[in-house]
Amino acid sequence: MTVTSNHVVPLDGSLALGREVVGNKGASIGAMLALGLPVPPAFALPIDECRRYHAAGGVLADDVWEAVLGSIASLERETGRRLGDPEESLLVSVRSGAAVSMPGMMDTILNLGMTDEVEAGMGRRARDSEFARATHVRFCHEFGHTVLGADLDPPGAGATARDVRAAVLADTGHAVPEEPLEQLRAAIKAVFGSWSSRRAIAYRKHWGIPEDGGTAVIVQAMVFGNLAERSGTGVLFTRDPLTGEPEPYGEWLPGGQGEDVVSGTHDCLELAALKDAMPDVGERLVDAGRLLEQTNGDVQDIEFTVERGRLYLLQTRAAKRSPLAAVRIAVDLATEGAIARDVALQRVSVDQLALVLAPRLPAAVAETAEVLARGTPACPGVASGRVVHDSDAAEAAAGDVVLVRPTTSPDDVAGMIAATAIVTERGGSTSHAAVVSRALGRPSVVGVGAGVTAAFGDREITVDGSAGVVYAGALDTEAVEVADVPRLEDLVAWAREISPVEVLDHAPEVVDVQPIGVGLAEGAPADPDLLAEQLRGAPAARGALLATAEGAEAVLRSGVPTVVRTADQHAATLLLRLVQARSPSEEKR
Amino acid sequence: MTDIDLMALHGLVVRKAGSPAAVAAVLGADQGEVSAALHAAVAAGHAVGRDERYMVTPAGRTWLDERYPIVYAEFRADPEATASYDRFERINRDLLRLFTDWQMVPSPGGPVPNDHSDRDYDNGIINRLGDAHERALTSLERFAALQPRIGVYAQRLDNAYDQVLAGDIDYVSGARIDSYHTVWFELHEDLLRMLGREREEAP
Repeated sequence: MTVTSNHVVPLDGSLALGREVVGNKGASIGAMLALGLPVPPAFALPIDECRRYHAAGGVLADDVWEAVLGSIASLERETGRRLGDPEESLLVSVRSGAAVSMPGMMDTILNLGMTDEVEAGMGRRARDSEFARATHVRFCHEFGHTVLGADLDPPGAGATARDVRAAVLADTGHAVPEEPLEQLRAAIKAVFGSWSSRRAIAYRKHWGIPEDGGTAVIVQAMVFGNLAERSGTGVLFTRDPLTGEPEPYGEWLPGGQGEDVVSGTHDCLELAALKDAMPDVGERLVDAGRLLEQTNGDVQDIEFTVERGRLYLLQTRAAKRSPLAAVRIAVDLATEGAIARDVALQRVSVDQLALVLAPRLPAAVAETAEVLARGTPACPGVASGRVVHDSDAAEAAAGDVVLVRPTTSPDDVAGMIAATAIVTERGGSTSHAAVVSRALGRPSVVGVGAGVTAAFGDREITVDGSAGVVYAGALDTEAVEVADVPRLEDLVAWAREISPVEVLDHAPEVVDVQPIGVGLAEGAPADPDLLAEQLRGAPAARGALLATAEGAEAVLRSGVPTVVRTADQHAATLLLRLVQARSPSEEKR
Repeated sequence: MTDIDLMALHGLVVRKAGSPAAVAAVLGADQGEVSAALHAAVAAGHAVGRDERYMVTPAGRTWLDERYPIVYAEFRADPEATASYDRFERINRDLLRLFTDWQMVPSPGGPVPNDHSDRDYDNGIINRLGDAHERALTSLERFAALQPRIGVYAQRLDNAYDQVLAGDIDYVSGARIDSYHTVWFELHEDLLRMLGREREEAP
């Protein structure tokens, strides 16, 4: 592709375009192409054009539109497809791309270019009119919602594009354009317009982000894994995201498209199946993963599609990983020399470490204990207490109690605060009880079944909010040791080396930090300045507050040389807090 | 019984327990009048408490449940109210999913509590909250045309949402503060009582 004008830039890797020019997503596509990786062709309207658009009072200048048409022609040449052509139809995605992530920016629109004729042609080629219908319906719904602001329920199973178009028109007074170029023009204007959404303006004002920035528009050809032989879609993790083992892990769905893999509605095959079916594609994919991991310095989660035996990478990003994998991956990457040790220490959050080290029910205990009920795990953790059946009793109780209710409502919040754990009979993971228990950090199991809890009486029970099980009796939990967690000993050793404050089990003279005067109610953060004042000159400090980010900051400001852990604190967690407080993450977010 | 007596008790039951100031905030009413009405409710056996904390008694709940169908007969029969409520329920379903997604992040091996380290993820949800909020304001306008008192919730939701945009993200679903979730649930409870409907437990 050639540069047709500076109003539109091709993302072909020929120009090093930073995120200040084409936004995060545009820069990421450009970077992949610059590495020589296969990415569907794309172009961007740079952030400057957003400024011009707003300076002109929300008008897309004719020369800009001409440049867009030129770039579409380039996409058509490269793909051998044309917008609106029923036989060889080009469909594109349209995304916003600001330089910094912020709310208010327009969501992605997929399958732009869909018309009744394209739907019919696509159905013939895929020998699957159902897929063509669903794609068209989805486009109309997405366009109606995102560009026109329609407030509609998700389309039903048998809905046609005509139904959705009518619903959008009825709700907004505007029609989803029938003509692909009109769709594109409206989508581009909507992306630029989203920079001035109320939400984006409020966010920038609060965070001091300059108003004169803008968002780029990324237009990319779509590829399909379901329209021909030797096609499919999948996702590759460059390491196992569950265990952190340094082996690529992936899922492959032959003949699948787009969200089929991510949505979990289809049974996917393992990566080996792709390697068997198309060895060259499998090899190229794993090589690309290795290159992207090296370049980006972190485990990658890569979405890909294979169209007629040709591999396309759609997106790469730092992979989500289990807390256990986060520890192993951080240490392995540092050991391999891919990242520095202090970077590795920023890669594991204190919350992740706390989850890894959370006390758990020993398997032997869980197996032999009497199970009273099973339900949906709503908030992780294990806690015990005597059963109370109403919130007033929970508030009035002296010892540890578990609040057991048919359901909860705003009435019950005070009782939930007073309880160590919560069980409900009805409702699922989005119920009031689930949301509030998570907000409070109280282990909870919801939806154990109508009438089940009457038999609990007022006995003692144990709630395992991670597994979704309620046991009879107050069961003992076991501590998890650093040595039990793969690679954690290395990470803790590095933290000890770097931390300017030592963390000990005991010290001859310790100042116990009192929450009074530095924090407010339970759950409210402490003021690091006040806390540092209280600590100044102390030989060593100890207290629950020191496990918080504010507490660690105060320790560093006060110059206290030693923190002594309390019985229920892990030295590893305190060390990680201190190390992360000292060098606020320099990683790009 | 005057209207404020009913409303004060209704405001109290929506919050379960509270001070005259808190009840007045729910109702958008004068604190002195609410205070007097709560005194009267205690005298009538409909509430217990004094000074800064009142609670509705079982007798008070029964009394309210008897009064609602009479006081809100017109509202309940109004097709506009029913239509508005159906729209509200749709927003409610989206919000409940959103609160859960805010708290628990999909992760290999199962969802884990959100440690708010992924700004893209959080902003995506704040976006959804913004969408839902704009829809909620439209819905509240329709209710407020029928029951002006409901307009008070728009200010409280606005406030929670503004706090979120200002970076105080506990205002999404914090349980101890007037977070979006807290205010939304009170609003839901309020509407259910006026309309005489049962809460459908969320999946």
